[in-house]
Amino acid sequence: MIPDWMNNVDLQPGHFSAGRHGKKGFIGKTIEGILGFLEEAFLSESYSKRPGLMQSLDPRVKLLSILAVVFAASMISDLKVLVAIYLLTLLITYLSKIGVGFFIKRVWLFIPIFAGIIAIPMIFNVFLPGDPLYTIIHLGAGAHLGPFSLPESIFITKQGTMAAVIFTMRVATCVSAVVLLFLTTPQQILFKSLRTVGVPKIYVLTLQMTYRYIFLLMEQVREMYIAKKARTIKSRGLIDDQKWVGGRIGYTLIRSLSMSEKVHMAMLSRGFSGEVHIMQEFKMSQRDYLAGAAAISISLVLVLISQDIIRV
Amino acid sequence: MHIPDGYLGPYTYIAMWIIMIPIWYYAGRKLSSELKSRQVPLLALAAAFSFVIMMFNLPLPGGSVGHATGAAIIGIILGPWAGVIAMTVALALQALMFGDGGIWTFAANCFNMAVVMPFSGYYIYKYISGKAPLTSSRRAVSAAIAGYISLVLAAASTGFMFGIQPLLHQSAEGIPLYMPYGLNIALPAMLLQHIFGYSILEAVITALIFGYIQKTDASLLYGEKIIAVDRNSGKSAPA
Repeated sequence: MIPDWMNNVDLQPGHFSAGRHGKKGFIGKTIEGILGFLEEAFLSESYSKRPGLMQSLDPRVKLLSILAVVFAASMISDLKVLVAIYLLTLLITYLSKIGVGFFIKRVWLFIPIFAGIIAIPMIFNVFLPGDPLYTIIHLGAGAHLGPFSLPESIFITKQGTMAAVIFTMRVATCVSAVVLLFLTTPQQILFKSLRTVGVPKIYVLTLQMTYRYIFLLMEQVREMYIAKKARTIKSRGLIDDQKWVGGRIGYTLIRSLSMSEKVHMAMLSRGFSGEVHIMQEFKMSQRDYLAGAAAISISLVLVLISQDIIRV
Repeated sequence: MHIPDGYLGPYTYIAMWIIMIPIWYYAGRKLSSELKSRQVPLLALAAAFSFVIMMFNLPLPGGSVGHATGAAIIGIILGPWAGVIAMTVALALQALMFGDGGIWTFAANCFNMAVVMPFSGYYIYKYISGKAPLTSSRRAVSAAIAGYISLVLAAASTGFMFGIQPLLHQSAEGIPLYMPYGLNIALPAMLLQHIFGYSILEAVITALIFGYIQKTDASLLYGEKIIAVDRNSGKSAPA
């Protein structure tokens, strides 16, 4: 029997600290990266155990719903509709007991901001002609920059700005939906639910094993870098340090291959024949069907909107 | 290089699924007949390694750091088909754990990083190294060139996918709906930053890893198992 206190889950996000590393060289940055990875992994694990809306749904329904919504969002080119879907993901985030502020930060931090930066040039008429919204500089006729001839004046266009905002918003909406999926589903269960979309059992098992061994390998890498740090008084030259890193990666590769041999033998000795069995422990309840039907009909309506069959 | 959802239009990402499904299917068939029951643990550990390789920061001139994708060295050491599956699993984890790369664009990402890279990496390495002895420096140089070219090719393939978006998807007023820049901008933008930046790093790291494996246990290299003494000799690698 597992005692109760072991079953208790601490729902508060933990914080991993690498301590102070002084000037951050490649060692400090690596250690920090690994701790950041662990923090992120444990954080999403803790969110996935909270008693919220998304957490209570069957993972297969969640996966199919999110796939449908992301597909629909990728077809939509109407800003109002995109904003509406985005707000819907925020509402579901709130109902799933995930901090909305944290969620917005988590989503926007990397991908949509990057998309926004990519989209910035397109607001100027240099890349995309359109009606002027705000003139930046008037160059006069025949202006050119090196071999490129420039238009008479450079201005921000209405169409370009709209297209850039829609592009960024679409990326943000799609990323939000996917982040919502993996924040509310424990990884191992999420992998298992991939069976519904036709991923063969053998790859579900491979994914699950990979997930486990990543933590082991990460820990080994962290130890290598800490050991190096502990033994470093004066850093050696750049080339020597680079050689060291290359050697450690090579060593990790050799170790993972030899570990795979041992794991294989351990599996064989426990009766593994190469055939994969996965326990099917999902149960659909009425609200799962309801949620799935709702998500899929919303997506269908969205696709119809994107094809101009329904007008908004 | 991980393409998020929303960058590519449906024609492109659906086409990439149609291309990738037979590739995955064939890779799976080939590996299960070659590796038998060893398939799951070997691919799981290889995928975990492909994931972890990105955590290794390499010091660069000027105090900055960088990391490699490692897809070429995976292809060289495990062979291209195992490389396809190992990289696919690693990419799946990145998408499902961090949202790094979209879910509908997953097939497109796999094509660039799990097919183009290990395949071009392996065959370029094979072609240049020819019949050179396993421990020759010619092989290390071929690995470096393989790492360099394979990443440039992957960048070109990504840039191409971006660049065809304005041709495929435009609103009635001619405004691009997805990635807004045409081939004349997207392709050079992707290529330049790789040719003069990331690919050099990839080449250096590929050569460093290759050099270490050569020195330690050259029998691990794919297709060189005839001279393999004992696969477990990896244990004796200096810690």
